[in-house]
This record gives sequence, structure tokens and C-alpha cells, in this order.
Amino acid sequence: MKTRILQANLVDDNTLWNDLILGDEKSFSLLFERHYSDLVSYGNSLSPFAEKVQDCVQDVFTDVWVYRSSLQSAVVVKAYLLSSVRKRIARLYERDHIFRKTASTDDIAFLLEFSVENDLLDDDYATKEKVTHLNKLLNELPARQKEALYLRYHQALSVEQIAEMLDVNYQSASNLLHRGLLTLRKEWKGALSLITLVFSSSL
Amino acid sequence: MQKRNKYTEIEDFLSDESFQSWILTNVDQDGWEEWTLESRQRAKLVEDARLMLLAMKVPDTELTKSDIHRALQSTWLKIREKENKKTVQGLNLSVFRKRFLTAIAATLVIGLAASWYYNNYSKTENNIVTYKELIDKNSEGLVEQTNNSNKPQIITLSDGSSVLLQPDSKLSYPKIFTGNERKVYLSGEGFFEISKNPKKPFFVYANEIVTKVVGTSFRVKAYSDQPDVEILVRTGKVKVKSNELSSKSNDEEIVLLPNQALRFLRNDMKFNKITNITQDPVLVQSVGNIEQLSFEFNDIPVSQILETIEQAYLVDIDYPKNKLSDCHLTTSLSDQPLTEKLKIVCKSIGGNTSFEMNGNQIIITSEGCN
Repeated sequence: MKTRILQANLVDDNTLWNDLILGDEKSFSLLFERHYSDLVSYGNSLSPFAEKVQDCVQDVFTDVWVYRSSLQSAVVVKAYLLSSVRKRIARLYERDHIFRKTASTDDIAFLLEFSVENDLLDDDYATKEKVTHLNKLLNELPARQKEALYLRYHQALSVEQIAEMLDVNYQSASNLLHRGLLTLRKEWKGALSLITLVFSSSL
Repeated sequence: MQKRNKYTEIEDFLSDESFQSWILTNVDQDGWEEWTLESRQRAKLVEDARLMLLAMKVPDTELTKSDIHRALQSTWLKIREKENKKTVQGLNLSVFRKRFLTAIAATLVIGLAASWYYNNYSKTENNIVTYKELIDKNSEGLVEQTNNSNKPQIITLSDGSSVLLQPDSKLSYPKIFTGNERKVYLSGEGFFEISKNPKKPFFVYANEIVTKVVGTSFRVKAYSDQPDVEILVRTGKVKVKSNELSSKSNDEEIVLLPNQALRFLRNDMKFNKITNITQDPVLVQSVGNIEQLSFEFNDIPVSQILETIEQAYLVDIDYPKNKLSDCHLTTSLSDQPLTEKLKIVCKSIGGNTSFEMNGNQIIITSEGCN
């Protein structure tokens, strides 16, 4: 038996994508293995039904292979896949609620709750307090703003890509991101000084 | 790292991968710590960005490598299903379209048909080679195995090669291969995985054509009552030519590479090479289980590997589940016949692991992995 060292990570997404378009099964599998987990976690933030999410992600990949000859070669692979997953899940909602008229991508809410980095053991109490508070504020943001932040900072999409995914123009996407952070900073500044006060008075 | 000197907003930091890895994994490759301390204003910004990152953690998805592998397998199955549906729909549509033309073409067809039958009839006498003729020609004692069941059957040859014989198919082969060649005779359809031996090439005789290989996997479909013979290659390289028994045979030899196929039109004695098998509705529809499954395993539980083998060869594998529950393997079994696959798995598990094969039943004995 040969135990091979996988060199897969050295090949970039677009090379794999273009080989896939030409019918290379190995490239398809590598892209699948590379992105599946991330796509599932994004899907889970849009739908509480974990099993259906996996189904949707697999369907997205199925279509990628079956219709590979009609794929564009110059795409940002990650963005393309994320946005396909989003559309799939929206379609799922459509089918499940046949009698509901309003089912479009805009209607699926971003459900993910940001959590706090557990590894704060080394940090002092004040930091923990601040982080927890900030986390609460983040989770209270409107779903769209949260999703934009998630896509920007966790899936590393550009503002253009986020705009395309959320079906809004560049300015709106940029506003979503900005407003999110702005609200946060405003509320947070007030709260921060409060915390510092409480903290210093308890010393 | 010059760009960071222009950072003025928290956002700039949040999307900086190097910054992220400093905060979240404590890997400070670019000297962030020092850089931060250079200015007080900068330190404030960095601190805010740090808190933000710490507060924005996303729950990890708990997908293991084997979860992902399983998902990939089921995606390939979905793909085949969809491709089949697509081509069936395509065919239906074209049948429907053709109806419009039927009336116009009808008169023409009668005339053509008459001459076609005539041609066919006269050709049949000298070209068509049957399985029976092939067998009669061979003087060595052959074993014949016929699959009358409705499921594929696995046959292991004396050289370790395996053949997955489809229903209504027959394979004749010598009990032990002697001499410098390995020859088998097929009627119907089989998927061959040949053990490598460049000194003893392997020949499959099927109707009018001969397929020669050294070590590879491929499918031959040659039913005596069907108008064509198909060869589809999965791994390795295969050479195909027509049998000299067939009177019109020429020396044309065709080389097939992985995922290429060949259709031999028996009446015209013509080879059609198919380089893109996914575009061929007939081939796409007849892909078997074994050709869809991936045998590339990367840190996958033994139980799952054995399950894949069971699905591919339609065999039952009995093994000590408890003893092997914690064993994971990384291996590539793609280009190996069944017995070779089992040998590799057993050897990799170690601990006196061995297997026994009895028809469709396989028993693995093991004391666990080392």
C-alpha cells in the first residue's frame, strides 16, 4: 500500500474548476472535499434542517458536474458555490410552503448566532466581559447585516461578491457591512465606558 | 505587509488573514505585536478589531473526513442518476420529434429496409463470430461460468484478476493460466479488473473482437443477439482489434485510454471510438455500481471501506466489527482487482489480518489494527 501525501492544497480553486469543466473527476472530488464543510456550515445558518442542508449542498455539486459544460471558467469558485447553496435552500423553502407566495432568496433569514471564542482563558476578566457584550450586540443585528458580516469575514468574500449573492447593488452591500459595524461601535462605545467605570469602581 | 500601514478602519483588520491568524490561532507571522506597539492610536484600533474577532466566532461544523467522503460518494450516485434521467428525457424528446417526420419518411424506409435486410443477411454468414465458435476453437480445458441470476456475480481468476459478470452472461476461462498469454471468452457483459503482469498479456475474446490488456479495468459488453459490442475503459490502457476468425477482419488496432469507449458495429465491421463517454446516452445509462464508486480513501474507517467494496462487487463481507471499529486507512484501491483490494486492506490493518473467499462470501479474520 502506498500512503500518499496529498498535494491537493497546492492547487488553487480555479485550476481545479477549469479541469472540472473539461471533465476531470479528480478535480471535482478535490473541490468537493475542500469546500463541502464550509458550505454545509453556511447552509446550516440559513436552515435549521441539517439533513436537508447536506442534501442541498450535494445537489449543488451534482449540478456543477452534470452541467459542467455550461459553466463559466472565470468565477470566484467559493462565491459561486456559496451563492448556489443559498439559492438551493431558498428553492427548498419554496417547495415546502407551496401555499406561501413570498418565497425568494430575500426571505430566508440568516439564523446563525455568533459565538465567543472559547479560548479566552489567558485573557483577563475585563476582556471576557467586553467580548461577551460585543457578541450579544452582534447577535442582535438585523439578519441581513449579520449575514453580510459573516460572508465578509468568515467566508472571505469581497463586497462585490456579497452584493451579488444577496441580490443587492454594491452600495447596499457595503452599507449592510458598514451599518452593522457602525451600530455596534456606537452602542459599544457607550457600554464600554460603562463597563470600565464599573470595573474601576470595583477595584 | 506594507498595506497595513494604511489601515484606518476596524474593517481593514477584520478581513486581513494574517491578522486573523494572529488573533485566533496566536500565529504571528508578520510581527503584528511589534507593529501594533509602534503607535498608540494604532493600538486602540487593533484592540477593537481583536475584540470584534473574538466575539464573532462561528460554531465549527462537526464534519469528519469520513463524513465528507461519504457525502462525496452519495453525490456521485446522484450525478449518475441525474445523467441517466437527462439522457432518457433527451431520447424521449427526440422520439417525439421524430414522429412528425415518420409519415413523410415512411415510403422511403420500405425501400431502404429491403436492401438493408439483404445486405445484412449476406454479411451474417461470414462475419459474425459467436461465443460457441470461439470456445470450440480453443483446445485447452475451459471452465464455463454462467450467470442466470438477476444480480452481477464475481469471478476470481487464477491470476487474481476479477470479473464482475452481469446477468445472462457467460465467461469461459482456463482453470489455471498457462503459457505466455491469458485468454478468456465472454458472451454478454462483464467488468474486468486485471492483475498487472506485462509478461503475460490478458485477452478478452468477445464476438468478433479481441481486447488486449496488461493490467487495467474495463467493461466489455458483447451479447450475441445485439448489433454491437462495447468496450469501456476505466483505468490503464487497452488495445482492441477484430478477431481473425471473422472473415473481413483487418489489422486495425484501436487504443483506448481511461474513460474512452469503443462501439463495434457487427454488421459493418466498423469501430466507432467514443472519446467522451458522458455524451453517449447508451453508455451513460449502463454504468454499473463499481464504476461510480471512488476507491480513493483518505483516513476512512475500515468498516466504510469494506462497505464500499460490498456495494461495488455485490459481495458480503464478514469481519470482526468491534476489533476493527477504530481502524482508519489511507489508501488508493482504484486500479486493483477484488482480491488485490482485500489483500491491501488486510495488510494495512496488520495484526494477522487475513481473508477467505467463497463465492460471494468473504470472511475477514483480524485481531484489530496496530
